[in-house]
Amino acid sequence: MKIQRLLAVTALLTLSLASAQDKTVLTVGVFPDLDSVVKAALPGFYKLYPNIEIKINSLAYGDHHNALTTALSTGKGANDVEAIDFGYVAKFAEGNGMTDLSKAPFGAGAYKDQFLSFTFPQATTQDGRIVGMPTDIGPGSMFFRTDLLAKAGVRPAQMNASWESYIENGKKVVAANPGTFLIPDASEAASIILRTGLKSGDGLYFDKTNKVLISPSNPRYVRAFTIAKAIRDAKLDAKAGGAFSPEWTTAFQKGNLATEFSGAWLVGHMQNWLAKDFAGKWNAQDLPGKTFASWGGSFYGIPAQSQNKDAAWTFIKYMTTDKNQQVLAFKTTGAFPALKAAPRDTVFAQGVAYLGDQKARVIWRNAASKITPIDVNKLDSVAEQIVNDALTTVLDGSKDIPTALADAQRLVERRTR
Amino acid sequence: MTSAPAPKPLSKAARPAAGISGRAPLSRLGAIALLAFGGLLTLLPFYFMFIFATHPRQEIFSIPPPVWFGDHLGANYDSLLSRIPFWRNLWNSLYLSVLTTGTTLFFCSLGGFAFAMYDFKGKNFLFGSLLTTLLIPSSLNIVPYALIMQALGWIDTPRALWIPGMASAFGIFLMRQYIGSAIPKELVEAARIDGASEFTTYRKVIVPLTGPAMATLGLVTFVQSWNNFLGPLIIFRSAETYTAPLALRTLQSIANTDWGALMCGVVLTVIPLLIIFAFASKRLIEGLTAGAVKG
Amino acid sequence: MTVIPTKPPTRRTSAGGWDNFQRRYAPYIFISPFFVLFLIFGLFPIIFNAYLAFHQWTPGTGLGEMKFVGFRNFADNWTDPTFWQSLRNTAALAVESGLPQHLIAIPLAFAIHTGLKKAQHLITAVYFLPYITSVVAISVIFFTLLSWQYGVINAILGALHQLPLIGGLFPGEKVNWLGEKSLVQPSIAAVIVWRYVGWNMLLYLSGLQAIPGELYEAAAIDGATKSQQLRYITLPLLRPTIFLAVTLSLIGGFQLFEEPFILTNGTGGTSGAGLTTIMYMLRTYVSYTEAGLAAAMAWMLFVVIGILTVVNNLLFGRSGLAGNEGRR
Repeated sequence: MKIQRLLAVTALLTLSLASAQDKTVLTVGVFPDLDSVVKAALPGFYKLYPNIEIKINSLAYGDHHNALTTALSTGKGANDVEAIDFGYVAKFAEGNGMTDLSKAPFGAGAYKDQFLSFTFPQATTQDGRIVGMPTDIGPGSMFFRTDLLAKAGVRPAQMNASWESYIENGKKVVAANPGTFLIPDASEAASIILRTGLKSGDGLYFDKTNKVLISPSNPRYVRAFTIAKAIRDAKLDAKAGGAFSPEWTTAFQKGNLATEFSGAWLVGHMQNWLAKDFAGKWNAQDLPGKTFASWGGSFYGIPAQSQNKDAAWTFIKYMTTDKNQQVLAFKTTGAFPALKAAPRDTVFAQGVAYLGDQKARVIWRNAASKITPIDVNKLDSVAEQIVNDALTTVLDGSKDIPTALADAQRLVERRTR
Repeated sequence: MTSAPAPKPLSKAARPAAGISGRAPLSRLGAIALLAFGGLLTLLPFYFMFIFATHPRQEIFSIPPPVWFGDHLGANYDSLLSRIPFWRNLWNSLYLSVLTTGTTLFFCSLGGFAFAMYDFKGKNFLFGSLLTTLLIPSSLNIVPYALIMQALGWIDTPRALWIPGMASAFGIFLMRQYIGSAIPKELVEAARIDGASEFTTYRKVIVPLTGPAMATLGLVTFVQSWNNFLGPLIIFRSAETYTAPLALRTLQSIANTDWGALMCGVVLTVIPLLIIFAFASKRLIEGLTAGAVKG
Repeated sequence: MTVIPTKPPTRRTSAGGWDNFQRRYAPYIFISPFFVLFLIFGLFPIIFNAYLAFHQWTPGTGLGEMKFVGFRNFADNWTDPTFWQSLRNTAALAVESGLPQHLIAIPLAFAIHTGLKKAQHLITAVYFLPYITSVVAISVIFFTLLSWQYGVINAILGALHQLPLIGGLFPGEKVNWLGEKSLVQPSIAAVIVWRYVGWNMLLYLSGLQAIPGELYEAAAIDGATKSQQLRYITLPLLRPTIFLAVTLSLIGGFQLFEEPFILTNGTGGTSGAGLTTIMYMLRTYVSYTEAGLAAAMAWMLFVVIGILTVVNNLLFGRSGLAGNEGRR
């Protein structure tokens, strides 16, 4: 065992100086709630690897990624293991800041088939380097209030038959329940439509040849913007902006929302604090139009500057490929496993108490297996920002859809070179 | 207003009788009412901060929000201490801010004295370049700053923050403006004639007369250092070395923030500032008396 | 003049040379700490950014990956409509938040300085409190206050709308303070004013204290009213302080970041109405990872602020910048 030998050498070297020092101290940089997952994992990990000591350095979500960016830029100061959120992984894949896990002695490629198919491509660069191991995902789901729907005489299946049907029946739900909104923000519908129904090989904003896909003649974009605009114009949304904004939070707490689209992990929040008073009234089903998408997800990677790469890999392998650990993570924070074997655990067949004992995990497991890989592009974050801005100009009525899309196309194209 | 002119002087002669006197005309009452209203408006958000610290998260975001103290302060406090070594973090902040403020006051008043009271070659150029440094957006300095600190081996030590902050362009600017307008040059001349060295002049003449400006600069430096976030984020690496704002930020996840504990920490972090402020504003008021002596 | 404790010429025995030396070089020694620190810690970042502005670089990839691109970054920013929009937003916000700050702070400081003696301490403290409040608290509090459906302000306005007679003065529908294109900037500006009025007031207070009380006495004897005193004594003599305060507001205003970032959740608000240049620059750096473009943008903003500062200097600063001449 390579690690053991390495540890032995280290131990011998340090023995002459300080006899007590026989453990490798591994620093792990995480953000909440992944810190809880790591904390919960430690007892099990120490049992198997008593010679590795884990030191958790937790920072707020944005700060964690900023600090990591700085550390990678300057070549110093990173932790041995770094958690990377889905939204950042493509960024850190550029350059040589992160260790290529596809190479020996890691050989991450061998584990590819054990994970849900859409996860690995997110952390794989065009030249085949793998910069992170997937640990959790967020299978997308439509949450809806059974009582509000019943009051309007709308069946759940009518809500997710298609987007048109969603809006039509949504109007009935809002009309029957004064003071409620169908959805926190109209822009959510647009972002789901943009993320589903892609042609194979296309990214969200660029195709394989880096051609910009945003355009007034691309049906996916026109439809996304049209549906969102229809929701806004029918006064169905609470204009709450992004998830976890105060407006969004309050709408949930007051029970003023009829539906919401999110990852399966949202249930944990709803049950603990977000919609505590509405236990049993929420249910889950697939997204409208039988589409499937993922909300977020996390990875673990090793910065190239780490001096403890072997121990780091041991730790990452434990966190990601150990079935029991993946199930434990799910139980701790609701982080849905990226490892295919984990959802076969019996816990996934149980009903979810908060959702009125609905067997929602089966729905999510099924959805997770149907999510298709989306090609990533290094300009994705630029394009995403520009498209979001364009959408707000459409929603507030300052631009019509063709103009907004044409403007956005031009703005994105001038970034590609 | 037209009948108002009974002298209401400011000087020492009038001071004993000063205060909001009985013969206040209507306009004066109006002004006071306006002041009080503005003050209340200003206080409102601050008040909510204290209120929120005594409520759990669900209540903070409930509508209408709580308007009176709740009973959750103890729970919030326990939750805060269970998540971060808060008092250790507060001590780090204090250590850093005291050092920064002390050195800044000394070096900036010295520099301001030089720019206000001396004529020397290159003065205008030097002062101009000093002002220019104020214009540079510092937000981009993250990477080069981290590079310097790594080269010096100062990562994870407080000196990476207080040594570069010992003298600020703003502080020198402020001190120069104040010394130039509040202290007559003749005082400095007189001290020289009496045989004082330049530094003695600074110590015996300038320092005692710059109370209000020192109080202002000291307060601002302390507050900025205390609330500084980006610098500590780059420098400090572990929960034990974090400053209070940095530690509090680690409580904020995208979703699962314990706002009650956070607000409790925020309030506890503000209290030292309030104490400093009480002290500084006393000096500010004392400055009024000092102003009457000269002239 | 009697303040100086008269001090006998003392113990400088062999100090003739030293005396000359210290007299001559004292000012340089006194200002040297700043410049030494600046050379070590300030200049390098500037040079680094200047270098960066001519390169293409993705932060996070290591310093070896920089690619020289000449003036392309500057040209790209120059032709980027979003950059210009952010500059317009910044200027608008600087005016919307800057003017009220000073228009409130000067009379406020004057009133506190002249009118209140007993309550002076308290009032000063109250108005200064927002300045020492942390950003975290500000974000929570103002969201709670400004929220569209659930905000305190809208609740109050709604209640006022119910009043007889004057009810018509208040909106009947809830106002979307942070979500309406035309309201984003004023809402942000209001928060900035709230936060910085006390700070400016403090600057003006310390400036007012430098004005000798005899001038007011003399004016009062001549029959000048309070407002005349404010206009003919206070304002002219306060000019160095006004220059200082306006300069700082200008610089601060053009580097505006925290408040709009917090209040728009980092998005810049609907239609980007609250997107300032620094926000856009940081977005370019952090989320677009175009460090070169961001550095070039910082330099372009620097030029803009520089020009405005010169203009400000011409307006207020004749006695402010160039040494002591013109003061008593």
